[in-house]
Amino acid sequence: MKAIASLKRNMAEFKSMDARDKRSTVADLLLNNAIYILLVIFVIFTAVQNSNFLAPSSLVNIISLAASSLPTALGIAGCIVLTGTDLSAGRVVGLTAAISAAMLQASDWANKMFDNLPEMPIPLVLLAVILVGGIVGLVNGFFVAKFSLHPFIVTLATQLIVYGLLLEFYMLNGNNGQPLSGLSDTYRNFITGTMFRIPTGNGQSVAVPWYVLYAIILVAVMWFIWNKTTFGKNMFAVGSNPEAANVSGVNVFMTTMMVHTLAGCMYGIEGFIESARIASNTANTGLNYESDAIAACVIGGVSFVGGTGKISGIVLGVFILRIIFAALTMLSISGNTQYIIKGLIILIACSIDMRKYLVKK
Amino acid sequence: MKKALALTIAAAMALSLAACGGDTSTSTSTTSTTSTGGTTGTGDTATTGNSTSGTSSDFDATVLYYAYSDTYISSVRTALDADLEAAGITYTDYDSNNSQTTQNEYIDTAISNGTDLLIVNMVTSGSSDTANSICDKAEAAGIPVIFFNRAVEEDANAGAVLGTRQNIAFVGTDAPEAGHMQGSMIGNYLIENYDAVDLNGDGTISYAMFMGDASNVEAIYRTQYSVEDANAILTENGKPELSYFDATNENKYQLDMTGAWSAQAAMEYMQTNLASYSEANGNMIELIICNNDNMAEGCITALQAAGYNNGEGTTTIPVFGVDATDSAQQLIAAGTMTGTIKQDAEGMAECIALLASNVMNGEDLMANTDSYTKDTANNLDNKIFIPYQEYTGQ
Repeated sequence: MKAIASLKRNMAEFKSMDARDKRSTVADLLLNNAIYILLVIFVIFTAVQNSNFLAPSSLVNIISLAASSLPTALGIAGCIVLTGTDLSAGRVVGLTAAISAAMLQASDWANKMFDNLPEMPIPLVLLAVILVGGIVGLVNGFFVAKFSLHPFIVTLATQLIVYGLLLEFYMLNGNNGQPLSGLSDTYRNFITGTMFRIPTGNGQSVAVPWYVLYAIILVAVMWFIWNKTTFGKNMFAVGSNPEAANVSGVNVFMTTMMVHTLAGCMYGIEGFIESARIASNTANTGLNYESDAIAACVIGGVSFVGGTGKISGIVLGVFILRIIFAALTMLSISGNTQYIIKGLIILIACSIDMRKYLVKK
Repeated sequence: MKKALALTIAAAMALSLAACGGDTSTSTSTTSTTSTGGTTGTGDTATTGNSTSGTSSDFDATVLYYAYSDTYISSVRTALDADLEAAGITYTDYDSNNSQTTQNEYIDTAISNGTDLLIVNMVTSGSSDTANSICDKAEAAGIPVIFFNRAVEEDANAGAVLGTRQNIAFVGTDAPEAGHMQGSMIGNYLIENYDAVDLNGDGTISYAMFMGDASNVEAIYRTQYSVEDANAILTENGKPELSYFDATNENKYQLDMTGAWSAQAAMEYMQTNLASYSEANGNMIELIICNNDNMAEGCITALQAAGYNNGEGTTTIPVFGVDATDSAQQLIAAGTMTGTIKQDAEGMAECIALLASNVMNGEDLMANTDSYTKDTANNLDNKIFIPYQEYTGQ
């Protein structure tokens, strides 16, 4: 009801403007939503070219692709809100994926990394990888907060350290860098098993995997943390102006540490999901995940200016990137073009984003 | 107080790093390296024989890998570490981390540190310029170079490096061979199982192709010859040629854009493909060809999520890879993967270690290598091919 009322008010305001103001208001509206308008045009174009694009199975595919990359984006967004970044994300995903895989290999798999390890309970492994991710995040947060180092530097350092550990992990126990696969069925079903099926006609149906549900839960949890907790409010306060936040009694040190730790935990969860989703993990698993996650965040309006961003924006950003991936694959357009389009979208999205601040000033 | 804390943390980090590096034999003999530094440091055009003396620990080899993260390269590294150790050669391993610049810097550092032998897995595969610049550095220092795994010269330019330089060798594979083998393996498999593979019964097999890296010659040849050779066998037996599942894709392959040959890229492509290609639509992909086993595993993951390749009672889409990694062998044993081409990591390591001991013992670099297959087509005695083998688990 509120929305309709405000819409009515806006319409009334709009009617009372003179012709010139009307034009500029419309232009502003179009520009501010340019990314969504382009997306809609792009989706329509793809659907016309390939009718399969909007078929249920394709939509489920896009949703599950997006769900798989959501945790990293949700984690990294907090770092961006603090005007920082996190370059260690991808490698932490790689490390936690490797740990999950090693702990949860099927007991009859011949190349098992830890031969005598009994089948571990899934919640324990999940906790363990969240802990590992959290520790890396804690280290990130500590150095950022304690020594006022730019997160770019700190996370670059931890990225390298974690990669080194990751490579060492793959050499453990005579594994010699071989891929970690042969995961137990319980684990794989827990992640990629069928949550429910959507009928697509002709008696056929398409399965929605469980990790879509996990992504939804994570979105809900993060929405709650960002919007309904003191910690969330503090995060935005520190992001927009750390001095002001400090003066008004916000513990900047703790907040920074917590944001990075939370991000690390999210990478741990991502690693846990990715490990089973890909089912064959190498030291390259997780490579460049941070760049896609950062891209998704900035497209979704989480600004590097700091202190702004919405969970809905992150979800949208992740979806935009995945829609582009699925659409270009279905249109059989080469990967080279995909890079160009991604780059252009980031550029447009960030320019529009900054334009708002420039206008304000 | 703060300084003390920073120091403690730095010390802790250094300690943990040292602990991590514990299993590579980098720090075996500090005293002997200084002595070899003396001999090579004189900078004359000493050939291999001069710098070695009786004791083996005087000899120091530098091994540069293009990327530790590569599964196959890891197998080579494990085997080579063991072989060099057995030969009594002190060695240091480096990870070039997919950057030729990094590798060149390691080479400069190793040479200035007085290394006696470079064993190089070039990052920029098939570039004679890169190889020549490495050879220049080695020549100036008077040490030999053993290149391995990744090609050192363009195919049209065979002999540009290996034919003109002294004291260098190449141990690798004949790049097109894996593609040819994969092609004949697929062709023969299809002839035997044609009707079972042709799910929609339209008489032609539609296939998907996953390419690991756009600029790697091995990837290019595997992508090309696996299909060409399979087609040749099909035509010979009166069957139509393979047809790529997506008629609008002119490349006829899907590429891992990061160049990492990764399972993830293949899985996401395959998952997206399966959203519009299915048995219900009568256009199911009936055959999958991958440049390596990791990508094959990724495809199998996607197929399994869609209800294929789950063992008995489910339709198995034949998936072919290259490398014969341990996990691929397991999948083949379980029947979820059909075949792969074995790249012989142990064989390659053995040959490199043999050449390295030649250098250490002051013999000719290519001594005792007559039993190996060499590039006779281009008259290159110093180019050794380690043959590929078909692997179907039988």
